[in-house]
Amino acid sequence: MPVSASAIYFLNLRGDVLINRLYRDDVGGNMVDAFRVHIMQTKELGTCPVRQIGGCSFFYMRISNVYIVIVVSSNANVACAFKFVVEAVSLFKSYFGGAFDEDAIRNNFVLIYELLDEIMDFGYPQNLSPEILKLYITQEGVRSPFSSKPTDRPVPNATLQVTGAVGWRREGLVYKKNEVFLDIVESVNLLMSSKGSVLRCDVTGKVLMKCFLSGMPDLKLGLNDKIGLEKESQLKSRPTKSGKTIELDDVTFHQCVNLTRFNSEKTVSFVPPDGEFELMKYRITEGVNLPFKVLPTIKELGRTRMEVNVKVKSVFGAKMFALGVVIKIPVPKQTAKTNFQVTSGRAKYNAAIDCLVWKIRKFPGQTEPTLSAEVELISTMAEKKSWTKPPIQMEFQVPMFTASGLRVRFLKVWEKSGYNTVEWVRYITKAGSYEIRC
Amino acid sequence: MAPPAQSKRSASPSQPSGKSEVSDLKSQLRQLAGSRAPGVDDSKRELFKKVISYMTIGIDVSSLFGEMVMCSAASDIVLKKMCYLYVGNYAKGNPDLALLTINFLQRDCKDEDPTIRGLALRSLCSLRVANLVEYLVGPLGSGLKDNNSYVRMVAVIGVLKLYHISGSTCVDADFPVMLKSLMLNDPDTQVVANCLSALQEIWSSEASTSEEASREREALLSKSVVYYFLNRIKEFSEWAQCLVMELVAKYVPSDNNEIFDIMNLLEDRLHHANGAVVLAAIKVFLQLTLSMTDVHQQVYERIKAPLLTLVSSGSPEQSYAVLSHLHLLVTRAPYIFSADYKHFYCQYNEPSYVKKLKLDMLTAVANESNTYEIVTELCEYAANVDIPIARESIRAVGKIALQQYDVNAIVDRLLQFLEMEKDYVTAEALVLVKNLLRKYPQWSHDCIAVVGNISSKNVQEPKAKAALIWMLGEYSQDMHDAPYILENLIENWDEEHSAEVRLHLLTAVMKCFFKRAPETQKALGAALASGLADFHQDVHDRALFYYRLLQYNLSVAEQVVNPPKQAVSVFADTQSSEIKDRIFDEFNSLSVVYQKPSYMFTDKEHRGPFEFSDELGNLSIGTESADTVVPAQIVEANDKDLLLSTDEKEEGRDPSSNGSAYNAPSYDGTASQTQIELAISSPSVPGHALPSSLAIDDLLGLGLQLGAATTPSPPQLKLNQKAVLDPGSFQQKWRQLPISLSQEYSISPQGVAALTSPPALLQHMQGQSIHCIASGGQPPNLKFFFFAQKAEESSTFLVECIINTSSAKAQIKIKSDDQITSQAFSTLFQSALSTFGFP
Repeated sequence: MPVSASAIYFLNLRGDVLINRLYRDDVGGNMVDAFRVHIMQTKELGTCPVRQIGGCSFFYMRISNVYIVIVVSSNANVACAFKFVVEAVSLFKSYFGGAFDEDAIRNNFVLIYELLDEIMDFGYPQNLSPEILKLYITQEGVRSPFSSKPTDRPVPNATLQVTGAVGWRREGLVYKKNEVFLDIVESVNLLMSSKGSVLRCDVTGKVLMKCFLSGMPDLKLGLNDKIGLEKESQLKSRPTKSGKTIELDDVTFHQCVNLTRFNSEKTVSFVPPDGEFELMKYRITEGVNLPFKVLPTIKELGRTRMEVNVKVKSVFGAKMFALGVVIKIPVPKQTAKTNFQVTSGRAKYNAAIDCLVWKIRKFPGQTEPTLSAEVELISTMAEKKSWTKPPIQMEFQVPMFTASGLRVRFLKVWEKSGYNTVEWVRYITKAGSYEIRC
Repeated sequence: MAPPAQSKRSASPSQPSGKSEVSDLKSQLRQLAGSRAPGVDDSKRELFKKVISYMTIGIDVSSLFGEMVMCSAASDIVLKKMCYLYVGNYAKGNPDLALLTINFLQRDCKDEDPTIRGLALRSLCSLRVANLVEYLVGPLGSGLKDNNSYVRMVAVIGVLKLYHISGSTCVDADFPVMLKSLMLNDPDTQVVANCLSALQEIWSSEASTSEEASREREALLSKSVVYYFLNRIKEFSEWAQCLVMELVAKYVPSDNNEIFDIMNLLEDRLHHANGAVVLAAIKVFLQLTLSMTDVHQQVYERIKAPLLTLVSSGSPEQSYAVLSHLHLLVTRAPYIFSADYKHFYCQYNEPSYVKKLKLDMLTAVANESNTYEIVTELCEYAANVDIPIARESIRAVGKIALQQYDVNAIVDRLLQFLEMEKDYVTAEALVLVKNLLRKYPQWSHDCIAVVGNISSKNVQEPKAKAALIWMLGEYSQDMHDAPYILENLIENWDEEHSAEVRLHLLTAVMKCFFKRAPETQKALGAALASGLADFHQDVHDRALFYYRLLQYNLSVAEQVVNPPKQAVSVFADTQSSEIKDRIFDEFNSLSVVYQKPSYMFTDKEHRGPFEFSDELGNLSIGTESADTVVPAQIVEANDKDLLLSTDEKEEGRDPSSNGSAYNAPSYDGTASQTQIELAISSPSVPGHALPSSLAIDDLLGLGLQLGAATTPSPPQLKLNQKAVLDPGSFQQKWRQLPISLSQEYSISPQGVAALTSPPALLQHMQGQSIHCIASGGQPPNLKFFFFAQKAEESSTFLVECIINTSSAKAQIKIKSDDQITSQAFSTLFQSALSTFGFP
């Protein structure tokens, strides 16, 4: 059995119960006390998200200032349980319109109980699609759509759509202006050794869409990925066009994408849900263009002084620029005083995280600002052991740049009424965990 | 509305009984019940919200039952839902009141609105009151035939709920048969999926008693049913897809073509965004191809990319779940993942549970081509701020060293660790160097040079110290200072708390003696003297053994202590391959996360008493809060199934057959004599069950020490017959006190036979003024907690007693606030235990 959760609890950071929902009798009613005593009030918290106490297993996740705890008594499917929590949270968010935190829960607890009843019955996940649930569970609590159709016709009702072929889209949507927004969001993960060699580097990308389209449109997306292009040239018996092709290591799709067609024709075709959704996710390890190079030199001059020089080089096009660049350079705990010189942006010493924090709001391409700092240390007798340096960490966003080089070649919308659509495509690359050892 | 908890707290901060609020609510609800004024629904909603919020934070609002039911006669659906929630929560505790709700729930089950029909049916089945099941059958039957799929969906799960309340009612009403036909014919896939879940549960638990049910359970795995599901799989929701694939994984295809067909059909599931679906598909692939080795390998190659994607997406918790599975696969087929080792590099900010799995995987995939890179990376982590991870990574380096042939580079690294001058790094590295030398004695020269430079003062951890001492003994001929370092350590014998270290010290000094006799003789004498006076049994025995061995024959002693050694070729694997295979069979479940097969953690027999001991140990932290009663309740509630009885003040239940049974046996000759007689009459009581005072006399030295310890205590130990101790203070004491004695006894066959009813033991022990506070476990492992109090003084003895009926052994741990008499008490306890089962 995939989950068969016995109970779900929502707790705040102090351990107060915000929501409790018991689905099965096979666990005691005070399981939440066991969680508080054995996990929340001990050092165990955060050491492992799956714990067993007295024959029951607890899966817990912290989301903003709330712990969500699932209790099971059987040999349950862990991946499924965590995914369920994540999906449930995004469902709640779509109801609250934004944040999911303690206040939101307190203000909406009746709604949450209603939803918990629908999304899980006797421990088995039921329907979690916001599109469908919103048809009959509304925040205003007005009577369900059925009541206006007392004839109880069997076909056009919510529950058929719950599981129908196109469960994620309602029929009969009408928009005056038909628009599609497509964002490619990539995050670059980098781990660079102190000698400047890349230890590990990959890109995880997402294709996010926002659709405001009438009717039941069919969409087709073409990317410059290698497999797709090869397949296309095969089908059209025409040599592959020159130009960069990207090799995707792995792709996953939203449930709306016709996976059979992807496997046979390598095209991404789908009937989109209304509004915002994540169309696909991908991962690339080969041929990643790193947007920034960081060249640190840290010299320890005696026991009370350090010299820090960091050069950051932007390697994307000169016309582009990065936003919100933050470089965190670690310094020892016993730092007393720091002096900076930066050629761009601002820097300061943050004692709370033991880092020099260098911020550059707008960072143009093909430039290389530097930071040089002198750090004075408090001399301590106890601390004779050498300082183990954490890595330099970096945050940034580069609009209109993809570290993988992925591009949208086409996005076709086809609907039987034949309306015109406006398509908007954006690219952005963010820092995932961008670490440079020094 | 205002946050409920805060408002409540401010009203009654000390005692959250909320009594006044509840009675307020009661009167307000009464007023509204009959009212038909406009806007009354809104005020009802506010009141209901308040009731639900009180219920959530644990205030008992069951007294409002009647009023709530009266008010819910409204048509407002939100009100109804809140009322259903309320009723579902309290019906079990108030079966009489629950009867009140049956009427309106039954009426709602016939409502024209399918949502209300569904909701009412769901609530009706959630009442969980056994004597109301007769009211469920009718609505469920019509619910299953409802023309709205929402109602059917609810009804199917309703049948399962009914089964859990009353299995016979469910089966007698032929519901399983109806579910089966629904499963195979219903157009709505969620109904179908729920049928599958319900039938799997019902038939699995019926299968043990009914042959028909086990046939039906087999039928779920028949070709026609599995194909029916596979052909519709794309219509199912993502959760139901997991369910279906779990079923398919158990299916046994008739030939290879079938296997390939199923895999082709499911291949696109590997691209699904839901990680649970991907894992379920992977399980199908792995299980189906188990018999085809080469295809099985291809499957590993194929699933690698999706797994790595799942690991790098989603929250840390999700990637932990996936990583655990990846970890399993990596350990099964490390060579397939050896080129992907960079994926297992840790990021600085990752949680330690993720890092730990990654370290394990790095160790597993290391081979000739990547060892250098992996070890370089692991050395980076050794300097990590997170000390447990730093330790773990040093251990990982060691593991790699032990599984490689070319250890050249690794030895250098390990020796660098020793020079890092961090205590924990040194400690871990010492242990590793020791293991390394046992496998590769040829490296001793390089290692010993570095180890010799380490000051033993900087090594505090017992394991590391033991390793260092082992090396000092083993390589004393190469280490100039060895005898003097050992001598130093022996001088501080009394400050050495770890028995393991003292044992190693004895052996090391012996070894050293045979290599460098003149320098070591003095130290050896001192070590043997301290060893003979040691209170730890093993240390004492070993010292005595060496002493006699030396007296007997020096050359024999040398052969025993310093035999020519063979290098260890393979260190034993901790987990058997059978267990590993079982975990693999349970892919995509908790077994993989816990790294043990499910029977070890779901089966009561296996976890039984050990869980319980964890409880007591862990509770220690919780009890620091103001009320000590809460944890006690937790123990009781959590382990309800473990507790056989909890008698605190059970008096006057003593066996009155024999008057002398009331008197506690005294610690003097008579008790010992019965002991001896027993030992003779039943051969299963071995010699060491004798009171140690008798055995001591002929042992060198020990008698003195023990005698000194016991002389101040009076030989007579009388126990208070009416000792009283509440569970809270028991736990507190148990936590605070050190173990004063830990022993293992044998139990006579009669005793084991009488143990088939554990309460008999409790009565018997109570007859000896030893009271039981908690007991639990399932045969063969039984666990008891006893306590006793001295007759005149207030000192208390606490006993943890684990009895294994199959091996007829009892393990006893005694804690007492009177250390001196605990030996006497132990003897008393033992005699009490040994007379159990004799008429």
